[in-house]
Order: sequence, then structure tokens, then C-alpha cells
Amino acid sequence: LNGYPLHPLCRSIRLTLPAASLQDNRDDLNRLTMVLRKETKCTDINVPLAIIRDLGEILRADNFKVTVLLSEVGGKAEVIAVEPGHSHRPLYGIAVDIGTTTVAAYLLDLEKGRVVDTAGTHNRQARFGDDVISRIVYAVDETDGLKTIHQAIIDTVNNLVSDILVKHRAIRENDIRVIMTAGNTTMAHLFLGINPKFIRLEPYIPTANFFPVVKAQELGLRVNPDAPVFSYPSVASYVGGDIVSGTLFTNMGKEDAPISLLIDIGTNGEMVLGAGDWLVTCSCSAGPAFEGSGITFGMRAMYGAIERMEIDPQTYEVSYTTINNGRAIGICGSGLIDCLAKLRRTGIIDRAGKFQTSLPTDRMRIGEAGPEFVLVWQDDSDLDRDIIISEADVKNLLRAKGAVFAGIRTMLNVVGFELDSIENVYVAGGFGNYLNIPDAIAIGLLPDIPVQKYKYVGNTSAKGACMALLSQEAWAEANNLASKLTYIELSVGNLFMDEFVSSLFIPHTDLTLFPNVDL
Amino acid sequence: MALTGLDIFKQLPKTNCKDCGSPTCLAFAMAMANGKASLDMCPHATEAAKETLGAATAPPVRTVKVGVGEQEIVMGDETVLFRHDKTFYHPTALAIQISDTLSGAELDAKIAKVNALVMDRVGQKIAIDMVAITNCSGNAATFKAAVEAVAAKANFALMLVADAAGLEAAVPAVAAKKPLLHAATAENWEKVVELAKANNCPVVVKGNGLDDTAALVEKVAAQYKELVIDFGNQSQAKTLAEMVNARRLAIKKKFRPFGYPMLACTQATCAREEIVEATTYVAKYASIVCMKADEQALLLPLMAWRMNIYTDPQKPMAVDAKVYEIGDVTPDSPVYICTNFALTYFAVEGEVVGSKIPGYIVAVDTDGASVLTAWAAGKFVAEPIAEFVEKMGIMSKVNHKNIVIPGYVAIISGKLKEKSGLDVIVGPQEAAGIPAFAKANYPHLMK
Repeated sequence: LNGYPLHPLCRSIRLTLPAASLQDNRDDLNRLTMVLRKETKCTDINVPLAIIRDLGEILRADNFKVTVLLSEVGGKAEVIAVEPGHSHRPLYGIAVDIGTTTVAAYLLDLEKGRVVDTAGTHNRQARFGDDVISRIVYAVDETDGLKTIHQAIIDTVNNLVSDILVKHRAIRENDIRVIMTAGNTTMAHLFLGINPKFIRLEPYIPTANFFPVVKAQELGLRVNPDAPVFSYPSVASYVGGDIVSGTLFTNMGKEDAPISLLIDIGTNGEMVLGAGDWLVTCSCSAGPAFEGSGITFGMRAMYGAIERMEIDPQTYEVSYTTINNGRAIGICGSGLIDCLAKLRRTGIIDRAGKFQTSLPTDRMRIGEAGPEFVLVWQDDSDLDRDIIISEADVKNLLRAKGAVFAGIRTMLNVVGFELDSIENVYVAGGFGNYLNIPDAIAIGLLPDIPVQKYKYVGNTSAKGACMALLSQEAWAEANNLASKLTYIELSVGNLFMDEFVSSLFIPHTDLTLFPNVDL
Repeated sequence: MALTGLDIFKQLPKTNCKDCGSPTCLAFAMAMANGKASLDMCPHATEAAKETLGAATAPPVRTVKVGVGEQEIVMGDETVLFRHDKTFYHPTALAIQISDTLSGAELDAKIAKVNALVMDRVGQKIAIDMVAITNCSGNAATFKAAVEAVAAKANFALMLVADAAGLEAAVPAVAAKKPLLHAATAENWEKVVELAKANNCPVVVKGNGLDDTAALVEKVAAQYKELVIDFGNQSQAKTLAEMVNARRLAIKKKFRPFGYPMLACTQATCAREEIVEATTYVAKYASIVCMKADEQALLLPLMAWRMNIYTDPQKPMAVDAKVYEIGDVTPDSPVYICTNFALTYFAVEGEVVGSKIPGYIVAVDTDGASVLTAWAAGKFVAEPIAEFVEKMGIMSKVNHKNIVIPGYVAIISGKLKEKSGLDVIVGPQEAAGIPAFAKANYPHLMK
């Protein structure tokens, strides 16, 4: 729990209330809240109307013995259910990371504070567009678009939950008493069915950054119908709850934290820079090149993807390794970074990514879309053609890496620090698992600072969501972080654009920024 | 140096309450560092913070205003030595001299001529800002009469150039127009400053070189702070050097005596040289340039220069949104649609040149955003593109109805066809594919 106490967002308390009599003629609600107040030390206790309606019968069903399920944060408690008697019911929660492409769910035992099981799947919204923008366009422009796309993510989550429950027969839908979600701002809007129209239009305003707690049944989630559904707060249109969650997980917002950088190397390229009391964040829109999209032979990191390669500087022959040693069918993100570094090191491309077409090898040739370099001949691949990388691919990668580095530089510039003031770099996102740091530095994707300052942190969004479910203190801090994170709009001014253009070279226009890179 | 956002942030309450209109305390601190917010917008600032920040974030150059209503000129409040570091805020005011030796019809003709120095450039009104009535006659009564006559008719703010006696005679009559008084000197400053104070007018402090002027300003500023500095104007090179040094000291060293707007008078006698001299002062920190030249033809380039220098450079890199002709275009040439983001445009242009097939490129105004960025933000979609193509009249120059759009926005082709009534061809995704695309589609146009 990264230093936070086990203090789940939801707990059940068994109470024996003083029986009503002519001497103690308080009303039932007051009878309950007085005891709760003592028990929880909360001053502000809310009991919803739906529970009050049946409260009289429930209190008397087992002679004023009741089990109360409640959630409490920062001195405020919300009663979720009141049941007669002192039953012991298992208490489970689900933490969901709603990624644009993949959705991951974690089943948590709230009493023991541990993950019982996890499951992941594709976000079913994908058929309405690969990226958040296409989905906003779909939700806004199509008849019933928002309803359809909202239902798609609800269905995705329901399926994950039932997948997990199939494996754990003892746990029933009704035992899942709370849900926590973390996702980018667009995902949060679509999950709750909030119109996302203005997220993409200047000046890029989301409808809400902090979301109300709703009941599972309102969203059609197949868990306990009264289970509260919490949504991680967002910061701005393109910095969402997934990043707040990551910031929580890395403890960057803790007092006396050293200056740290959290980078999610994905399509949106969100990053956070800060040290305890100040945190700035931006979204550099790197694009999906490192996820293989938009690259002729780019692919996700799976069977048959080239992940490492060497190019002989004399003969330009290529040797490579693929994931699971399958026959090559494409190149994944880490392979692309390696490829870029090796193309440059062997002089196949210049610093600007231009191909040297006069090289004495038949691997270099002019294809339909300009110059290209053959990485794998057809005979060695599992495809019916050669696997190549084209100049357009290289330019695409340069733009993606340039955006990331320019984002980092812009944030540093805004707060007046240099690259060497960064103490920790947390690399997040699915891609982070496959990233070779020295390669990434060599092409100028990541700053040239000692490799030991880099740490992989994996899917911080999901981890932060679990933390918030298991610790009220963590959830309170998540909300605090969301209001503290300062969003930097990169499209204002030309700071970012200048940095971006300077970053479109390998490793950079300003070579003094990469003293240890020799290309 | 000015405080950074983080320095300011440390003094703020860190409540992130948003009461100031900024989403976080740090955002507010950064806005303050950029001079776009002031501490009094924060209702929770402590007294200690007000004290430390008030002094530290005080502008390096004081804001001084001349004139009233539409004639008001705001001067000073500059924060950088080079416009690319942020921007220059308040354009140099151009003042045209009118001598008080003119009278009657002569004076009327001169005023009419000066009033006509209003022109139009790229849809914006540009004009002179001030008339400087100069006591050339040496006679206080004549000066007063001339000032009153000019004040009644001139459309611009006033500067009164005279000795103490002349100013004393003329100022009370036109005080309501808040003229700038020129000048308080080592000899007469007590009298002149008293007069300025009494009439609530800004005043020029005129010294002789840097040291002398600094000493004089210090004395004056102890009593009155609505000041403009004049270094005595001996030669063009010297004035330039003095203004550069003074502005550096004000911004870099927070040297208070030079923390005021500056005035320069042109020395050249030939009107053309005067304009060249004035361009130097406009580029190098003068808040007012006082000159004799009054011909539209001479002033227009100076005003255009001023407009360019004071344009906010914090704009995205963009080419002009218009139609570009690449090579020897003919009515058969293809029409490519892209955005006006400089990198996008030049990528397309380079490939169209490389295709050896002349073509038109329509750079749609997307505020300098790239194809996908503009599409994502709803600026590069069917309606604005159709409108822009229509507005540019490009389709009347060609004998076909085809436009080629970037492959990445293939999704808009249907709607664009509907809105524009044109045949929309989806081109390659990357500009690098244009040569192959062009060769396949327009082989007969190969040059």
C-alpha cells in the first residue's frame, strides 16, 4: 500500500443499538446515527432516503442488532446498507483500470487487504474508434452514440467481473460491495455517460473533473446493486484519473519527495513532474507509434514481434530476436526504439531521420512511400513480404519521441529546473515493461540522466485504484492530488513547439543535452 | 530577475480553492510570474505574502498613462529585453511635433494633416498617438494659445514641450486632457513637478546622460512617480546606448530610477533619416518617439514596423492560410488540402515539389495545428475546410472538381463532399506518399 494504512473505503460494523422505550423515545434514524457517530468518529453521517424508508423494520427484526455497511472519508460517512442481525458477510471490492484500449479489473478482499484475482480484456468501445477523439466524435455525432458507447464499457466491466467470479464460486455478485475506477478523462465521462463533446474543442474543457459517487445499479453494473461506484478525479481534458492514480502510487506528492518525473509512454503521453508540494502535468500527445500503430510493420508486443536487433556496421546485415522466438511478423515498440538507434549508429539514417540511399546494400531501396530498409527478408518472416522500415516510419517515430522529450523539457522550463535536477523517473504504461532505457536515451526519447534513476512502475493506474479501495487515506490523498496537480496547456505559447522541433533529431538538436550519447 | 512561479508558489496558501480563477495555486503563481495575475485576486493570501510578493513582483517598468478616453496611451509595464522571451506589451507612441509659431490657418492645416495620419493595415487601424506642441516662440502666451487651439481640434493625446513658464501658462487650461509635460530638468524640476502634481499630469524628466538622469529621477521620484525618462538626446547612437542600458538596469537589476517609460526625440533633419532613426527607437524600448515628419508615406512603414515588433510572438508556427502555387500550375493541376501548421505545410510542399507535378496547396487555417491535432480539436473537419476552399476561390482556377485530403482524415471525406459539392480524393497518409500518389493519378502532368 506504499505507506498507506489498511483502512478500506468500505467496511461493515456490527452494532447493538439501545432498544427503544418510553424513556428512550428517540427516532430510529437518530438512534442509529448517534451510535455510528461514536463508533466512527465521523461528524457528518448521511443515511440515504432509500435506507430510511425501511429502517424501522430493519432495526426491530433482530432486536436492534444491525450490521451497517458504510464508507467514510475525511470525517464524512455514507451509509450504504443496513441489515438486520450480526451476520458476517464477506466484503469484496473491484478496482478497474479503464484504459482506452484495455480494461483491467482487480478483485480485492477488503478485510484482508489483498488482491484475490485479476482479469483484463479489450475495451469494447474500440469498435467505435481506436482513440479517445474518435470515440468522442462517435458519442457526439451518432444517434444514441453516447448511450451505445457508455453501454459498451459497462458491458466490458460486467464481463470482467463475471470472468473473475466464475473462478471463485464462493463469491457472489452481491458480495461485491464497492467499485473504484480509474481512467482518462474521456473514459471517465463515457463510463458515467457524461457528454464528452467539449473535451476536444478549444479551450478543451471537461464537463467534470470530480465525479459523484453513484450506485452500481444506476450504471447497470452487475454487482451488489447498492455498491457505491467511485471514480478517480481528473485534472484536465487530457490528464485524467489514471494519471492521478499513478501519481498517488509513486508517492510523488508526499511531503519532502524528491523531484520526480512520471511518464506514461502511450498515445496520450501524459507526464507529471513535481516534488511533494508542487506537481505539474501535461499531455504531450505522442501518438500511438510506440504501440506499433501508424508504422508499416508496427505491432503490439506479442508472439513474433521483433523486440531487439543488431545491424552490422560493415555489411548492414540484421540480426534480431523476437518475442517467444516466433518467426518475425512485425516490430513492437521496444524493437522500434532499438531499430532507430541502430539505424542511426550504422549511418543508415542521418540525425534528421533521412535515409542514406546510396549505401552498398540491397536492403536499402526505394519503396512506394519513399526510401525503405529491409529488416527481414520474406523467406525469414512469417509473412508473404519483406519486413521493412520506411523513412515515413522513422519520421513518425521521431515525432513521437520528440513530443515526449519536448513535454519533459517544457514542464522543466515552466518551473525553472534543468534535466539533472530530476531524481527519479517513473516509467509507466504497458509499453514501459518492454522499454530498453539506454536505447530510449540514445534516440532522445528519455533524458540523458543516470540509468539507475529510472524505475519501471507498470500499470500504475490499476495499482493506484487498488490502493484507494483499500485505504481511505489513499483515496483522500488522490482527491487532494487531483486538485493540486497543475495542468500545463502545451498548445498555449510556442515553448512546446520550439522544444518539439528541436527534438525531431537524433538524439536532439542540442547535443549538449545528451553528453553520454555517441551516435 | 523576476521571481519564478515556484518562488511565488511558496508564499501562497496552497489551498487550491480556485477562488482566484486558476485551477491550482501553482497555476496562479505561474500566471503571476507571467504578469497575467496579481496577488489581490487571491482572497486567502497572508499579509506576509503580500509584503514579500508585492515588492518582488512589482513590475520592473512602471505603467504611466497619458491622455484620457480614446486618446489614452498606456506606456511602460515591459518585462523583457527581447520580444521572443515573452512579448513587448505597449506599442511605442508616435508623437508629431507642432510648433507654436504656427497660427490661424497654418495651424489648422497642420492639425488637419496630423489628424489624417490614420491608416489601415491587415484590417487594423494604425495611427500616430500624440501631438507635441513645442514652445518654439519662447513666449508663454503664444504657447498657451497654440496649446488651446490644438487641444480643441487634435484627435490625439497631448505633449506640451516648453520651459517652466510656458508650461505654467498652458497646463491648467488643458489639464483635463491629461497631457504629458516636457520637461522637468535639473534647473526647473521643482516647479515643473509641482505643476504636474497639481494638475495630475505625467511629466518627462530630462537629464543629460545616464548618471545625471538617474540622479534627477531619484530626486523627482521621491515626490512624484508619474514619470517618463528623457536622456537628453544628443546623438542617435548615444540615445540608443542609453536606452538599452537603462532598460537592462531596470529589468535585470531592478534599478528603480530607470523603471519608467522612456522618450526619444529624433535628431535627423532629413525626414527620411528621421524615420530610420525612429525605427531604431521603436525596436529598442522607446515608449514615445517624438518626431517632425508628418507625411503618410513616410510614417506608414514606421507604423508597420511598430506593429510587427509589438506583435505577440507566442503564436504557433504557422504559414499564412492561403492557396500556394507549387511549380508551373495549370488548370489541370491537383489541389492538395492541408493545414497551415508550418511543419505540416512544408512536409507537403517538399513532396509536391518532389513529385515533379505542379499543384496547388490549400493551407487551411487551423491556428497552426497539424492535421490530426486540428482534426481532434474540430478545426480540420468538413465544414471549415469547405468554407475555406470556397473563400479562397481556388476551384475557379482549375477545370476539375477534385480536392485531395490527407489520408489520416479519410473519415471526413463523405461529409466534406456533401458540404463542398466537390469530389474528395483521399490521398496518402504520409506526405512522403505524395510523389507515388501523384504519379499514379496524374501521369500526364509530369514535368
